[in-house]
Amino acid sequence: MKIKRYPFLIFMLFICTLLFGCWSKKELRDLALIIAVGIDKKDGKYMSTFQVVNPGNVAGATQRGGGSTGLPVALYTSTGDTLVEASRKASKQISRIPYYSHTNLVVIGEELAKEGIQQIFDAVERNPQFRPTANIVIARKQTAKQLLSVLTPIDKIPANQMIKTLELTEMMWGENVDTRLREVIESFSLAGKEVIMSSFYVDGNRKHSDDQNNVRTMEPTARLRAAELAIFKKGKLIGWIGKEEARGVLWILDKIKQTAVTVDWKEEKEAVSYKVVRAKTKVTAQLRNGKPIIFVAVKTEGDIGETFVAIDFTDPKQIVALEKVMQQEIKAEIEKAAHVAQKKKSDIFGFGEVVHRAYPKEWKEMKKTWDDKYFPKLDVQVKVESFIRRTGLRTRSYIQ
Amino acid sequence: MWLRLRNQNKKQVYQYDKVAQEGIYGTIERDLHANIEKVRNITGNSADIVIRRFLLGKEENLSSALCFVSGMVDENMVQQLLIEASVQLSFPSTCCDQLDYIEKKIATANTTRRVKQWNEVFSLLMSGESILFIHGMQEAISIAVKGGEYRAITEPSTQLSIRGPREGFTESLGTNVAMVRRRIQHPHVRVEAITVGEVTHTNVRMMYMKEIADDNIVEEVRSRLQRICMDGVLESGYIEQLIEDETFTTFPTIYHTERPDSVAANLLEGRVAIFVEGTPFVLIAPAVFIQFFQAVEDYYARFDIATALRFLRILVFFISLVAPSLYIAATTFHQEMIPTSLVIAIAAQRESVPFPAFVEAVIMEVTFEILREAGVRLPRTVGQAVSIVGALVIGQAAVEAGFVSSVMVIVVSITAIASFATPSFAIAVSARLIRFLLMVLAALFGFYGILIGLIWMTIHLCSLRSFGVPYMTPLAPLIPTNLRDTFVRFPLWALTDRPHGITEETNIVRQGDEQRPEHNQETRREGDEN
Amino acid sequence: MERACISARQLFMLAILFEHGSAMVIPLGVDAKQDVWLAILCGMVLGGGLLFVYYRLFTYYPRLPLTSYSQRIVGSFFGRVLGIIYVLYFLYIAARVLRDFGELLLTFAYPETPLFILNAVMMLTVMYAVYKGIEVIARASQLFFFSLYWILILGFVLIIIAGAVDLHRLQPILEEGWGPIFHVVFTQTLYVPFGEMIVFTMIFPYLQKQEKVMKAGFLALLLSGINLAMIMGMNVAVLGADMVSRSTFPLLNTIQEIRVANFLERLDVLFMIALIVGGFFKVVVFFYAGVIGAADLFQIKEYQRLVYPLGISVLFLSIAIASNFAEHIKEGLQIVTIYMHIPLQIVIPVLLLLIAMLRQGKRGRKPQGAREQRTP
Repeated sequence: MKIKRYPFLIFMLFICTLLFGCWSKKELRDLALIIAVGIDKKDGKYMSTFQVVNPGNVAGATQRGGGSTGLPVALYTSTGDTLVEASRKASKQISRIPYYSHTNLVVIGEELAKEGIQQIFDAVERNPQFRPTANIVIARKQTAKQLLSVLTPIDKIPANQMIKTLELTEMMWGENVDTRLREVIESFSLAGKEVIMSSFYVDGNRKHSDDQNNVRTMEPTARLRAAELAIFKKGKLIGWIGKEEARGVLWILDKIKQTAVTVDWKEEKEAVSYKVVRAKTKVTAQLRNGKPIIFVAVKTEGDIGETFVAIDFTDPKQIVALEKVMQQEIKAEIEKAAHVAQKKKSDIFGFGEVVHRAYPKEWKEMKKTWDDKYFPKLDVQVKVESFIRRTGLRTRSYIQ
Repeated sequence: MWLRLRNQNKKQVYQYDKVAQEGIYGTIERDLHANIEKVRNITGNSADIVIRRFLLGKEENLSSALCFVSGMVDENMVQQLLIEASVQLSFPSTCCDQLDYIEKKIATANTTRRVKQWNEVFSLLMSGESILFIHGMQEAISIAVKGGEYRAITEPSTQLSIRGPREGFTESLGTNVAMVRRRIQHPHVRVEAITVGEVTHTNVRMMYMKEIADDNIVEEVRSRLQRICMDGVLESGYIEQLIEDETFTTFPTIYHTERPDSVAANLLEGRVAIFVEGTPFVLIAPAVFIQFFQAVEDYYARFDIATALRFLRILVFFISLVAPSLYIAATTFHQEMIPTSLVIAIAAQRESVPFPAFVEAVIMEVTFEILREAGVRLPRTVGQAVSIVGALVIGQAAVEAGFVSSVMVIVVSITAIASFATPSFAIAVSARLIRFLLMVLAALFGFYGILIGLIWMTIHLCSLRSFGVPYMTPLAPLIPTNLRDTFVRFPLWALTDRPHGITEETNIVRQGDEQRPEHNQETRREGDEN
Repeated sequence: MERACISARQLFMLAILFEHGSAMVIPLGVDAKQDVWLAILCGMVLGGGLLFVYYRLFTYYPRLPLTSYSQRIVGSFFGRVLGIIYVLYFLYIAARVLRDFGELLLTFAYPETPLFILNAVMMLTVMYAVYKGIEVIARASQLFFFSLYWILILGFVLIIIAGAVDLHRLQPILEEGWGPIFHVVFTQTLYVPFGEMIVFTMIFPYLQKQEKVMKAGFLALLLSGINLAMIMGMNVAVLGADMVSRSTFPLLNTIQEIRVANFLERLDVLFMIALIVGGFFKVVVFFYAGVIGAADLFQIKEYQRLVYPLGISVLFLSIAIASNFAEHIKEGLQIVTIYMHIPLQIVIPVLLLLIAMLRQGKRGRKPQGAREQRTP
C-alpha cells in the first residue's frame, strides 16, 4: 500500500500534463495590446476603433528587429451590432488576439454620447480583462476614431499622451476631471448622482494627423487638447461646461488639488494670481421645512504666484483683504457651476447622494422627482475659506 | 524478468563480514613462523604489509616480528620502537610473565594492548596499529603507532566567513574531535565511538552534550547509526543518506558543516554531531529548515545586521525558487499584471524570439546549469575560460542572435546569483530542482500552478521530520520564544532559551537574567557620580 | 481516527483560515447592501451560540468525534445513520467549496481551461495534505496563517494609500432597519461561514489540551468575524453597495481599484493567493472531516485508504452538482441552506445536546464515555 501511492500520484500528474492543451495560455507575441478603444455609432451599428501598440516600434525598445522607423501604434476599425461582436470581427484584420487588460483609455464619440452610453458598459464590466481604472473621455465635435488617429510627439503612444495630459491638467489647473470607468458605471446605479467626463478634440489641421510627418515638425499640425466637461443625464450627453464653471464643478467634487485663481485688486482687473496648493471641500445636507439645503464648505491654502499691482505683502491686513477677494472669486465660480448644472437638471455633484446619506427615509420620497423638482431649485450655500500662507521669494513687488 | 531478478536478489542475504570473519577465526599460535605465514596468507602478501623480524631484548634475543601497514603508521615511532625493543629492552628471563613485562615497558612510550584472537589482530593491524609477535608467546602485543600524512588544518572551503575562526575540519577524525572539544571544555561533552562499514571499518564519533541534548534524540541517532550494515562508508554523505528520516525529499534533513565553531554552537543547542573518519564534513542532527539559512557569522555580527542579512537570505531563496516561473507565468498567462510600459518593453524584446516563453526559460536555465556544472569540476584555470565563454555566449550572442530576450537573461542571472547567495549549498540544490518543477507548473497553469506548487512544497515541508523533530520548527509548530532566532536574530541577551523540541525540556534556559549590557552600565555610571 | 495531536494555537489558526476560506472572496451577505458588515457581525454573534453548542457536546465526549458520540447519544443505529449523513454532508460541502473555487478561478483568470482540470489540480493537493494527516495540515496552517495575514494587511494598506476608500459609501447605516439584516443573517451569514464550524467537532478531539478548545474556537470566530466584516465593509466603501451586490467576487474588484504611483496596480495576484490559500484550507478541513468520519464509522484503521476513492468522488461531485454557475449559487443559497445547513448545523446538534444532557443528568454528573479510549 505504501509503495503504491507515489506512482499513483505521479501518474495523475502525468495525465494532467498530457492533457496540456495550454488552455488560457497566450504568448506575448500573439497578443495585440490594445491601449485605447474608441466607440462610435455608425448606421445603427457600433463601430469600435482599436489603438494597438506595436511594441517593436516604441522608443526604448532597442531590441533587434525594432528600430524606430515604424509607427508606435496601429489603428483598426471594426463594426458590429454589439461591442463583443465588433471586437471578435476585428480578427479579420488583426493577426493577433485583441487583449484589453492594458486598455487604459476609452474614447466615446460625441454622437454616440448624445444618443446614450448606458448600453456599452455591460460588455466592458463583464469582461475580466477590462480594468475599472481605465480613463474615459468624450471626443468633442468628432468621432472617437478621429481622436484616436492623431500621432503625438513626446509620449509616443497617443493614448498615454491623453491620459497623462488629463491627469496633469486635473492636478495643475482643475478644469478637467479624470473620470474612471467605474465611476461612470456607479453613477448609473445611483439615483442621486450623474457623471461628468472630460472631452478631447483635435486642434489644428486634422487631415494628416495620422501621418508620421505630424510628429516630425516642432509644432505638430494636429494636436490633442483637453476641452470642456461633458454633462450627462441618465447616460445621455446633455451639455457642456467649461472654463471657470468647470473648475467650480471640481471645487464641489473635492477634486481640486492645485490651481491658480486670478482676482481683481482695487481698480486693476485680473491683477493677482493665487496658487492653490491644498484644497478641501465638504458637502453636507440639511432638511429645512421638508426642503433640502446643501452646504458646500471649501477650504484652500496657497501662495501668491504673481502680481501686477503694488501690494505690500508684509502687511497682514493686506493679506487678509486679499484672502477675502479670493474667497469671493472662488465662491462665484462654484455658484456659477451649480447654476449651470441646475439649469441642465443634472445632479453632477452627487448632492442627491449626500441627502440620501443624511436623510435615508425622506430620500425615498424625493428620489423619484429629485432631478426635476428638487435639484433645480436646490438652495446651495457656499462658504469659502482661503488662506494665503506664503508669498514666494519676494515680499513687495518691484512694480510701484 | 525484472521481478524475478528482484526476487533472486532478495534471497541472497548480506553476509560479507561473516564470510570474512570465518577465514580468520582462531587464536595466535606459539610458533612465530606460523603466525607470520598466517598474516601473509590472509593479506595475500600485499605489498604494503610490512613484517620486520628482529631479536627482542638486549640479551635475551627472543625472535620476534613487528607487523604494520606502511603509510598508516608513524615511521619514526616504529623506528624508535624497534631500537628500544631490540637494543635497550632487557627483561628477566625467569619472571612470572615476560609478556606482561614487555608490554609495560613498551607502554612507557605508546599505548599497548594484548591480543589473542586473529580477527582482532587483523582489525587492529588494518586500523594502523602495529602488532608485535614474539616467538613462543600465545598472545601478541598491539602498539598504537598510528600516524601517516593528513592534510593540514586550513580555512574551510565551503563555509567561508568574514569574521570568525579560520580553521576548518580536516580528514583526520582525532583532530576534528579535538577541535570541537577545545571549544567546549566541559566534561559533559560526550564522545561515543561507533565503527560503521563491514569492510571499511570506518571510525565514526558521535558527540553530544549530556544534559543538554534530549536523550531520546541521542538514542535515536545511536540506534540508527548502529543499524547501518553495508560494505563501506566513505564519506559522511553515506551516513546522511542512511539515517535521514525521509528519502523522497529534496530538502536536507541533516545539516553538515566544515566549521568547528558551528558544531560547537549546535552542540550547545542540544544537537548531536557525527564525525566520520576521512572527511571534513561533520553531520549535525536534528536539523530544521530555518537552520539552513543561518550562518555562524549571524551570531558574531551585531543583531541588526544579522537580522537584515537573514531576511535577505530568505528573499534570495524565494527568488532562486520562483523567479523563472514567475517570468513564465507573467508573460504567458497574466500579462495584465505587468505594468503597461513594462509589458510593452518585454513584448518588444520577445517579438523576435522564436520560442515560447517556457521553452526559452528552460533552454536558458539548462544552459546555465551546464555552465555551472562544467565550472565546478574543472581545474580553476580552465574554469575561468568556461565562465568567459558562458558570459559571452549567453549574455551577448544569444540575445543578439534573437534566440532569447534580454529580460530572460536578466531573470536567469538573478536566479543564479540568488542561488549562490543561499548560505547552505544543500538547500540551494533543492531549490534548483524545485525551480524546474515550478517552471513546468507555471507553463501549465500560470500563477495558479506556482501557488499550487508552493502549497505542495509547504505541506511537504510540514510533513518532514528530522529525528522526530518537525522540520519547520519553530515556525510550525509555532514556538514564539524561538522565533527570536529565525527570520530575525534578537540581540544575544534576548535569546534566553535553547530551541524547544530539540533540547532537553528540563534544561531550556541558556543564560542568566539581565545579560543586557545596559543593566550593568547603569550601575557603573552611578558609581562614577559617587 | 488517526493518532495525532494538535495544539490550541494550531486549532485557532486552522479555524481562522477555514473561516476566511471562500467567505472572503464570495459576495457574502450582500443583500444587506451597505450594512453587510453588520450582517456578518450578527452572524458571528449567533454563530458563537452554535459554537457553544458544539463545544458543550465536545465536553461530554472529549475524546470522540461527532460520528462516534452521535452513536453514544442516540444509540448505535440512529447514531450511525446520523454519522453517515454528516460524512456525506462534509464531503458534499467540500465538493461545493471546490466548485466555488474552480468557478472563481475560471471566470477571472482561466476562461479557456476546463473546470475539471483546475479542480483536479486543487483536489490532488488537498488529497496530498489529507493523506499526510491533521498534524501536517495544522502545521501548514500556521505557515499560511501568517502569509495570508501579511497579504491582507498589505492589500488593506495599499487600498487606503490608493485613496479608493470612501467611507460615505457605507452610509446610510440601517437604511431599511434591522429587517433585511436579520433576513440575511438567517439565510446566509449564520451558516456560511460561522455555522460551518460544525466540521470542527471532528477535529476537537485531537487537541492536546482539551480545556483550551473554548478559548481557541471563540477567539478564531471573533477574529474572523471582525476580519470578514472589515473586508466586506471595505468592499462596499470602495465599490459602493450596488456594484458589490452585482459582482461575482467583490474582493477582486476592490483589489483592482488599487493604483498607486502608476506602478503598483493590477495586483490581482494578491487576490489569487487569498483565494487559493483560503479555498484550499476550506476544502481540506471538510474533506478531512469526511474521510475521518467515514473511517471512524466503518472502523477502518488506516484512514489513508479512503483518501483516493473519496477524493476522486468529491472531484467528480464538484463537477456534477450543477451545470452552470447560476444554478450552483442558487442551490447554495436555497436548497443547501434549508435542507442541509439548518438541520445539520442547528437542529441536530441542539437535539443531540439536549439528549446528552438528559442522559448525563440521569446517570449523574460524571459523563460516561469521557474517559474512554478513542475508537479501537
